[in-house]
Amino acid sequence: MTASGVASVARRLDEPAIRTTRLTKDFGQGRGLFGLDLEVARGEVFGFLGPNGAGKSTTMRLLLDLIRPTSGSAQLLGLDAGRQSLEIRRRVGFLPGDLALYPKLTGRAVLRYLAQLRGTVDPRLRDSLAERFDADLDRPVHQLSTGNRQKLGLIQAFMHEPELLILDEPTAGLDPLVQQSFHALLREVSAQGRTVFLSSHTLSEVERVTDRLAILRQGRLVVVDSLENLRKVAVQRLDIEFGDPVNADDFRALPGVQEVLTNGRTLTVAFEGPADAVVKAAAAHEVRAIRPREDDLEDIFLRYYRESSA
Amino acid sequence: MTWPAARLTLRLRLPATLFAAVGLIAVMAAVGALFPAIGHTIGKLNVPTSVANLLGGADYGTITGWFRSEIAEIYGPLVIAALAITGAAAATAGEEEDRILALILSHPIQRSHLIAAKAAAIAVIVLVIAFAVWIGLIVGVALGGGGITIARITALAVQLAFFGFATGSIALAVGAGTGRRSLATAAAATAAILGWLINSFAPLVSTIAWLKYLTLFYYYAGHDPLAHGINTNGIIALGLVTLSLTALAIIAFERRDLTA
Repeated sequence: MTASGVASVARRLDEPAIRTTRLTKDFGQGRGLFGLDLEVARGEVFGFLGPNGAGKSTTMRLLLDLIRPTSGSAQLLGLDAGRQSLEIRRRVGFLPGDLALYPKLTGRAVLRYLAQLRGTVDPRLRDSLAERFDADLDRPVHQLSTGNRQKLGLIQAFMHEPELLILDEPTAGLDPLVQQSFHALLREVSAQGRTVFLSSHTLSEVERVTDRLAILRQGRLVVVDSLENLRKVAVQRLDIEFGDPVNADDFRALPGVQEVLTNGRTLTVAFEGPADAVVKAAAAHEVRAIRPREDDLEDIFLRYYRESSA
Repeated sequence: MTWPAARLTLRLRLPATLFAAVGLIAVMAAVGALFPAIGHTIGKLNVPTSVANLLGGADYGTITGWFRSEIAEIYGPLVIAALAITGAAAATAGEEEDRILALILSHPIQRSHLIAAKAAAIAVIVLVIAFAVWIGLIVGVALGGGGITIARITALAVQLAFFGFATGSIALAVGAGTGRRSLATAAAATAAILGWLINSFAPLVSTIAWLKYLTLFYYYAGHDPLAHGINTNGIIALGLVTLSLTALAIIAFERRDLTA
């Protein structure tokens, strides 16, 4: 390799796993993806969140050159998604959201065929993934349940040890045990420095496995941030148990408080921002216990979703 | 070319192809065996020219006319066109509608190579059927008492193979360009059937007689290969149509978005 070639490869290694610049695919009538600017770092597990029709699958298909952008551009692993798509696809594993396979072939035959298309796949890795997911490779695809077909989809996406995994709704149809195996695999992949870009409308899944996430709505990026930062701006809830009944209206009037629910001598206070005012108001009474409630991503998601709708 | 894709397409379509091939051989053997008993009795049918044209001359009194009417003009092209069209329409448009193609194209293969692989697989299917026609005709003619040389039988099989290539390439091009299996099937089937009808009726009306030159059927059967042997110009024309439409399929498929 020439010196300029080495420099070019070195530059690419510094590039993020995914970078999109004003990426747009306009299907007309307001459908598609509009002006997506996104960066996913190498080694990151990145969640792409949004309801059905938000543009998640469109983004993934654009990244893999299955469809071409109306405008804007995308780079994967430092390579242009259009011009260098062949090299990209060599180094990427993809699980489509609406996975379909050859119904007459057995799982083993499907995986053998897909491995042949790749050229180099270690059969031991394929077999270990099959064992890990408890996949049935000997029955024809048309006899498999949705979950068992999805296992084949996951195996083919991981079996060549890709640098970047693009997974569209990866746990659809999987039972909880297999989901756990999948999440463990994601952690291993991330620990190896490989990147995972996964979409989901299952909020709990994204919350469990991703480092950062983006929320997409009607083809437009609503927010992209770490879970930690998103939690900071999320609505917090405190369960406060008092010695005697208290007036809930005193808490409703506090700055940042959004909702107060009463259950006997316990108040559940939902608020944004610092807890200072709520804690000080509670301190004016006999407080037996304060229990913070764990916020989940659904609160964050719904909040952004409501705001962008408004 | 992507050999695994060609091999898989063949594997998935081979059972139906072999079934059709065996059926063709059996039918042609039966047709040949029937000739001594009823061929001479029927003789040359006294029917309007248009009907006679539809039946490949309707001359059942000679072994050449018998096989031309029974096999060369109707049964042979029908079977080969049906298999070429269904195979080619399923090749990309079928896989696209079945939502398999997006996964396949997420692998490191070029779209042009995939089309070439599918075209090669369809070509093999067509060759299997043409070979079956060749075997069937040899057996059938022998059972019918002989009278057509191996060279003429080979000429028909070769012309038929090229007719199959060209008909399949219509389905391949439309399927690759639109991603719609039904449209690909309809376009190719319409071209094949219209070609047969035009070759039967257009020569009767001088003002539209030229239309036959626009049909694939003319370049396959217009020269009557069972009577006159191979028609090089016909082979070249069908070959050029096949290559052009396959190139068109590649260009169209390279440029467009997958629909599913």
